[in-house]
Amino acid sequence: MQSDKGFFGRFGGSYIPEILHASQQALLDAWNQARVDSDFLAEVDRELQQYSGRPTPLTPCPNLTRELGGAQVFLKREDLNHSGAHKMNNVIGQGLLVKRMGKKRIIAETGAGQHGVASALIAARLGLECTIYMGARDIERQYPNVFWMKQLGATVVPVTSGGQTLRDALDEALRDWSADPSGSHYLLGTACGCAPYPEMVAEFQSVIGREVRAQSLQQFGTLPDSIYACVGGGSNAAGIMLPFIDDQSVELVGVEAGGRGPAPGDHSIRLSDDLGSPGIAQGFATMFLQDDQGQLMETHSIAAGLDYVGVSPILAHLNDTGRVRMTAANDDEVMHAFQALLRLEGIIPALESSHAVAGALRDIPAMSPDKKVVINISGRGDKDIFNVASAVKDAEFGPFLQRYLARELQA
Amino acid sequence: MSKLQTFIEQQRKEKPILLMTHVVYGYPTIDESLALMRDLLNEGVELLEVQFPFSDPSADGPSILHACHQALQQRPTLARCLEDIALLAEDFPASRILLMSYLNPLYRYGLERLPADAAAAGIAGLIIPDLPLELAADFRHSCVEARIEPIWMLTPETPPARMQQICDAASGMLYCVSRRGVTGADSHNSGNSQQVPLEDYLAAIRATTPLPLGVGFGIRTGVQVKALHGMADIAVVGSGLLDAFNHGGRSAALEQVRSLRG
Repeated sequence: MQSDKGFFGRFGGSYIPEILHASQQALLDAWNQARVDSDFLAEVDRELQQYSGRPTPLTPCPNLTRELGGAQVFLKREDLNHSGAHKMNNVIGQGLLVKRMGKKRIIAETGAGQHGVASALIAARLGLECTIYMGARDIERQYPNVFWMKQLGATVVPVTSGGQTLRDALDEALRDWSADPSGSHYLLGTACGCAPYPEMVAEFQSVIGREVRAQSLQQFGTLPDSIYACVGGGSNAAGIMLPFIDDQSVELVGVEAGGRGPAPGDHSIRLSDDLGSPGIAQGFATMFLQDDQGQLMETHSIAAGLDYVGVSPILAHLNDTGRVRMTAANDDEVMHAFQALLRLEGIIPALESSHAVAGALRDIPAMSPDKKVVINISGRGDKDIFNVASAVKDAEFGPFLQRYLARELQA
Repeated sequence: MSKLQTFIEQQRKEKPILLMTHVVYGYPTIDESLALMRDLLNEGVELLEVQFPFSDPSADGPSILHACHQALQQRPTLARCLEDIALLAEDFPASRILLMSYLNPLYRYGLERLPADAAAAGIAGLIIPDLPLELAADFRHSCVEARIEPIWMLTPETPPARMQQICDAASGMLYCVSRRGVTGADSHNSGNSQQVPLEDYLAAIRATTPLPLGVGFGIRTGVQVKALHGMADIAVVGSGLLDAFNHGGRSAALEQVRSLRG
């Protein structure tokens, strides 16, 4: 989706400190050249295929379909990307752009750690130095991802300011970029931030929607009737939705993190239910969760990757125009959807992606059986083993960890 | 010529350099921050920069970031901040007060009405680090109407053409960021790429504009301030003062200011 000088309706723009201006302009120029360079685009495609394993399949779910008794369910399997999430699409694109620009160091922020792992992987593959900022609270929730980032050679910096989540990590990444704007590239992980990030990340992710389009025509002969995606920053949603933006017959549904409920600090609902309001922060204008003084609020989600205070200006705009319908799923619905997919189809979705499943499960029973619904499984759930074990109150997990620790301490 | 520029030039006739001291409104409490501001104005600082805290101050380093987050515990409002500044401006007509904040709290208050309200409170200028010149047409217009100066920033990364553009648009004074990175002591690796020496950078700005130049970021000793004599008109001290305050309270902050005068 092409922006109007970095704006999508009333959202987007480039509200950054002056120190970053020249570097942001250089990125804008590099991106504008690369996006129309067929050699560059071919190189991205090749790497998506040979390194990340694309195309990812569109998987029919006969058991879930039978159980729900409504529309036919298909899953877009971004969990089968290398690294286990759609984040790989973006880091391949930006990583190759960094090489093209001749920079040697990348900076990344990460929430759940998926973008951090993806950044560390691409940095290793392309020979780039890599520093990753991650909220200290998120590190506690997702240490296994931190472990892999470090094993891959990245430097992981815990961010202990503010709420110690994704938004604080993003602020800290901006501060790092300010210290070395011409030498480092800020490899932003979602379709947020100053121009050209929203447009560029959404474009690198649009491979998801382009594949869904071709696979739908091939597998069931028409376009899908509805597409569901979870919305944290919004990159997997933008990626699967944008290639269908002009197909009015395709309903596009974004699912935000309803968390524990609508009280401030208990959720990450920016667009649905009128909980967010327009603001300008972290480099761009969008709908933010904020108080009456314009202070950004704390957020919550069972899925660290959705625990973000702002949202892609592209999705904020598509919500404004009504092209995308936004809704939210709460933590309990998400766990129910997660377990349904495990038991019925043998697929372990990320808790982030389980929000999309939860949103779809709510609507599908009322839809006619000839309708086709595609749900974006943006990532796999293996990383969530600790959170899930805790949520399902697995009796053996705690004792297993204790025995493991005892053995390690002895060794 | 703007009132702010006239004030700075008159002050500069007798002094080799002026001081702009920075205080976070509401840190550690609203009353204590106001008491520190009064101390500084009593001490005769020519310019006081009041930062209205924001939850996500992306151009600030650890000292000011921490102070902003602490200040927010007091739930400060911009309306009350303007009222408090109005009292200071009335009591200290020999100094000038500037208001600094990030865009979002000001946007929430109303970027169109802020210049008039700030001017009515006796504020001479507004500093908004994340509002770039090219997205500020309406704001600049409101500032002209309210006769208050939007203070633009230049950095060592600003290319010559853009420097010219910003200088042409500026009035009152310019805020020259001394180096890459964020406010306070260096906290991030500044990479391998060479930085322009400060004197060359300031000389290039001086050759572009006759406006008074303030220099900030990382300025915290009398030696550094003295080194700016002849190259700049104002030394801006923020994190250094805050660190002194955190170390020894208001008296330590005042001592720090005296040591900056050399």
